[in-house]
Amino acid sequence: MKILVADDSRVMRQIVIRTLRQAGWDDVDVVEAVDGADALVKIAEEDPDLVLSDWNMPEMTGIDCLRELRARGSAVPFGFVTSEGSPEMRETAAEAGALFLIAKPFTADTFRDQLGSVLA
Amino acid sequence: MSAPIATLLDDETVNAVAAEVWSALVGEDEVLVPGDGPVADGRSAWVGVEGPWSGLVVLTCSASATDDLTRAVLQLAPAEELADEDVDDVLRELANILGGNVKSLLPGPSTLGLPQTGTPPQPGTDVRPVGATWRGHPLTITVQGATEAPVHHPTTEVTP
Repeated sequence: MKILVADDSRVMRQIVIRTLRQAGWDDVDVVEAVDGADALVKIAEEDPDLVLSDWNMPEMTGIDCLRELRARGSAVPFGFVTSEGSPEMRETAAEAGALFLIAKPFTADTFRDQLGSVLA
Repeated sequence: MSAPIATLLDDETVNAVAAEVWSALVGEDEVLVPGDGPVADGRSAWVGVEGPWSGLVVLTCSASATDDLTRAVLQLAPAEELADEDVDDVLRELANILGGNVKSLLPGPSTLGLPQTGTPPQPGTDVRPVGATWRGHPLTITVQGATEAPVHHPTTEVTP
């Protein structure tokens, strides 16, 4: 099992990875990407089972990355882990094909609830 | 012009948001005690909100707090060395998440910018500073309305 974590903050990537481990996924391979453009390249190279992406990032945002993936025909499971979770953003995310949106701050329980069915 | 921040948010709400962020990021047992501040000489990170209410959410920590904060967030051992970039990254992420949560309480729709560190723009009159103490270190979360950009008067070039 492989998960790609995209966030321009190294600290936040580390926290997401730590939370994955705390939630019970301690044996997954993790690939890190520093923005949406980097994620696009690494998704093509690494073929992850799930993408966890921030929304606001320089170079390419998470939502633009998701739209580009779907435009290219990729159906990779994709969820947002982002600092805001307004109803408008959740709707935009769902319309673009995201499975979920986890708003920061989050806990291991949040990860278990949202990722459980995807990684079952 | 939108309503001033003082009528949109109260101290208790900002404290509640900050307490939740602290508990999730800094540590489950970490307590942010409301009160104290403002921090006169600290390190700041902030994020912009643009919408019906536009402004900044600024986190300012005393110099003594930033190292402890970074160690707590990254779960580093006392002997491990701290990179300056990690200190800024932690402050930016805390400001980012505080900003995202504050934004969700303000009239929308609005957008959140990318977090920055450095010297934040001076607040105008539309400002709500909320002081707190963590492990004895003072810190301030300031929600401040956008100050008007200086008016630029273009000069007319006259060619002889």
